[in-house]
Amino acid sequence: MSLSRLRLALWLVVGLVALGMVVLIWQRSEPQQAASTALGTIGGPFTLTASDGQPFPSSKLNGRPAAIFFGFTHCPDVCPTTLARLARLRHQLGQGEDAMSIVFVSVDPERDTPAELANYLTLFNTPVIGLTGTTAQIEQVKKQFGIYSRKVEQPGGGYSVDHTASVMLLDKNGQFVATLSPEEGDQVALDKLKRITA
Amino acid sequence: MLRHILLCGLLLLASCGQNGEPDIQLGNAWARPTRGDAPAAVYVAINNKGEADDRLTGAFTDHAAMAMVHQSELADGVATMRMAGEINIPAGSRIEMVPGGTHVMLEGLRAPLKTGDSFELVLKFQKSGDRKVTVDVTKAEQL
Repeated sequence: MSLSRLRLALWLVVGLVALGMVVLIWQRSEPQQAASTALGTIGGPFTLTASDGQPFPSSKLNGRPAAIFFGFTHCPDVCPTTLARLARLRHQLGQGEDAMSIVFVSVDPERDTPAELANYLTLFNTPVIGLTGTTAQIEQVKKQFGIYSRKVEQPGGGYSVDHTASVMLLDKNGQFVATLSPEEGDQVALDKLKRITA
Repeated sequence: MLRHILLCGLLLLASCGQNGEPDIQLGNAWARPTRGDAPAAVYVAINNKGEADDRLTGAFTDHAAMAMVHQSELADGVATMRMAGEINIPAGSRIEMVPGGTHVMLEGLRAPLKTGDSFELVLKFQKSGDRKVTVDVTKAEQL
């Protein structure tokens, strides 16, 4: 073998190794792409029943950002606190009630009939969209948004529901963009809302 | 001799602390309005200005079938609500119930709570016995 052929063969090996490394790096970067796809899969279209008893397709939310909270009307502490907070934050945004929809989805469809929801939501003196449905429909929407809830029997009768406390924020196209946690301060929450209502 | 006097004095002081009474004062009691047959949460500030600890053991009111001391908690992003055990109110301390934490849950209200209403709630203490407080029903937007 001549020296030039050996050189060629060696360059070939270098080329193959380089190609291998490129493939390896490309494969490693794939999980990150999968993660960003997963973010995009939170939410998605659904149809539930509004508090007026009419079907409510999620497309009705399009056109303005939305803050969606999953709770139940027999929840005396966390749910009214969260809804009151959302109403106050929307007020602080200073862009009126049309700037963002506040949506309350029941995780207790057994008790929360449309009429029950309508009655409950008059408490907050500001428009809140109330949604309920069949148990199967609610389970489906919970799954779409990654919401956890579980019925817990109370000593002395009745039950309470443990549920995800975070609020899901959708942009005006119905795309999931962020969550609001009860633990973060109002200023952080307000900044997030400003971004989606900008 | 001096040591004995000091020791006696210290013992006397220690026994003073033991024999002192708790002095429970209740205030700032409020609840949000309710609708339908949904339960209410009452928030109360408890002040123990006395020299001995006391313990909140329960609650009752003529306005509801049941009053229970409850505790909301946030764990791994999930909100839960459970019966709270008895709550210790140490001498000289102030405990203010706030939304998202300890509250008195009223189940089976005689009538839904309306903004502007007020009613009486009794908190039961181990040493101080039954103490009454007037609960004001605020607007739902109250935080």
